Amino acid sequence: MSEIMISINNIIKTYRSMGDEVQALKGVSLSIKKGESVSVMGHSGSGKSTLLSIIGALNPPTSGKIEIDGIDLYSLSQEKRADFRREYLGFVFQQFQLIPYLTAHENVMLPLTTTRRSNKEKQEMAKEALVRVGLGNKLNRLPNQLSGGEQERVAIARAIVNEPPLILADEPTGSLDTKTGDEIMALFQKLNEEGLTVLMVTHNPDNVKYLSRTIMMKDGRLLNHDEQLITTMNNTIL
Amino acid sequence: MKLYNISINNLLRRKLKLLFVLLGLIIGIGTIVSVYSVVDAMKLEMTRQASEFGVNVVITPDAGGLAFSYGGITLPEIMYDVEQLTNEDVTTVASVSSKEMIKIISPKLMGLAKLENHKKAMVVGANLQEEFTIKPWLRLKNDNEAEADNDIKANAEEGDKNMSFQSLDLSRQELALLSLNDNQVIVGSMSAASLGLTEGSVLQLEGKEFEVYGILAESGNGEDNQIYMSLTVAQELLNRPDEITVIEMAVDYSLSSEEKLLSELEAALPHTQITSMRQETLRRDEMLTRLVRFGMTISVLVLLIGMLVVGLTMFSSVRERTREIGVFRALGFRKLDIAKLILLEGLLISIGGGILGYLFGMLVANYSGELLVGREIVVQWHFSTIVLAVGLAIFMGLISSLYPAYSAANQDPVEALRFF
Repeated sequence: MSEIMISINNIIKTYRSMGDEVQALKGVSLSIKKGESVSVMGHSGSGKSTLLSIIGALNPPTSGKIEIDGIDLYSLSQEKRADFRREYLGFVFQQFQLIPYLTAHENVMLPLTTTRRSNKEKQEMAKEALVRVGLGNKLNRLPNQLSGGEQERVAIARAIVNEPPLILADEPTGSLDTKTGDEIMALFQKLNEEGLTVLMVTHNPDNVKYLSRTIMMKDGRLLNHDEQLITTMNNTIL
Repeated sequence: MKLYNISINNLLRRKLKLLFVLLGLIIGIGTIVSVYSVVDAMKLEMTRQASEFGVNVVITPDAGGLAFSYGGITLPEIMYDVEQLTNEDVTTVASVSSKEMIKIISPKLMGLAKLENHKKAMVVGANLQEEFTIKPWLRLKNDNEAEADNDIKANAEEGDKNMSFQSLDLSRQELALLSLNDNQVIVGSMSAASLGLTEGSVLQLEGKEFEVYGILAESGNGEDNQIYMSLTVAQELLNRPDEITVIEMAVDYSLSSEEKLLSELEAALPHTQITSMRQETLRRDEMLTRLVRFGMTISVLVLLIGMLVVGLTMFSSVRERTREIGVFRALGFRKLDIAKLILLEGLLISIGGGILGYLFGMLVANYSGELLVGREIVVQWHFSTIVLAVGLAIFMGLISSLYPAYSAANQDPVEALRFF
């Protein structure tokens, strides 16, 4: 069994807009081991979101190859990729992206909706996931009846409910205060210690300490070790 | 959790949109149901009226007709090649497959017979019990009846309905007693007045003497000028043995198909002309035709507008839910799951809209049907109409939701989310 969770080889992504071509990723190669927790940092427009969407099986690259757990993502059909997302990936979106008319319990059940599990099993799994993130007592609350931190926890419970091996998170602490943000990062750290691989896009340097590795991006490519060092120093000085 | 849980929750959250879509469906379906129900009620009413009238199918000889015109002046139509009906035709009528629908067959011979003063009188040969049954307004006027007649007139001042019921009862009482000898006749009120006849008078027709058995009460119809006698006596008197002028029938339409009976009669009696009073009434009722055309045109327009409202509302709902659909896609929903989600919402609204539209349409038909058609009608509640209404609503809802569902399923999840 391979030790590599994510293997990216020379990914190029070009967008066409109003007749112009914009290269968002300029030949990115990357390897992330199972059980690692990696943060991707970089300024706006550096290509980190594009990279995450490609790893998330949502956005085919213009060229290059990406494998998750040995599966060549973009050789799969669109529908198979949807199944792959459901089985292999847990998404934690920026600003939680909870469905406002569903309770916490129902929101967590969403990834299980189209599976063949029984209703009872789905309910049990969702409840268990909410207990894992410390919200076992707020199953029937609607998102607007929960605090920001609680909504983030529901979003995390939704990402782990089907027990995927890989969690993709986009600015999970972006709209939280420092204390709540730290609690959430501690939760990610705990999930990582339980064996989940975590890949997180973040602007917040404070989050880095909860993760095992940081990747810096700039202008559509990964910075090498020396460049990262300089960038980190500059950020620290600033 | 299933897809329908998401659909139901979403519909309940967007109550205003739900209301708009429902209204579109309710008005569309309601219009069709009300028009359909009113027309149905009118047809029923016409059938009832035709049945109450007694005679509802008339068989007459088929003949060619030619109208002569002289410089714009047209003479009455001249009939030629008239092939008369016979007693055999009466037997044929009584033996068609749908004969159980025919309650009464009343064959008649009509002709002119010479009176003493060389004037002529209209003679009608018929089986009088059948004739009186088929024409419930016919009744005899005698001394006892005259008293009853006065009572009736008194009642008539109280209300028309009472009078008609009593007239019917009287005619029924008379039926059992109505048995004419070969030398007896019943005279219409006008003929009796002009010839100075009373009950028991003697009348000479074609040189043969007849006793007046009774005088008909005035009916305002053609019977007032006629002299009734037995069919066989009339055939002999007019020297037209075996001949029949017209066959009148009372048919119970509720037993089987009217069209089937008529086609059987037409096949059995190809040389005749068969007229159904009910069909004639329906055909001639231009108001009904106009109402149906107008109603259906409006219904189709309202239906199209309803579909447009449903489609636009569903589409705007899909646009509003772009992010939500992106989340669903990212969480592993297939395109088909997204399409199902939207179509399911369309289906749920349609079922609700169909049922509510049916109730709305029936309410409109019940309360404004009378105003619309200008006569009292009874709107029937049919299970088939509700099935039709809900079916039509589902068809409308699904057709209108097809494009929004397609559009939702094909949203690019990255574009939809714009979160990376």
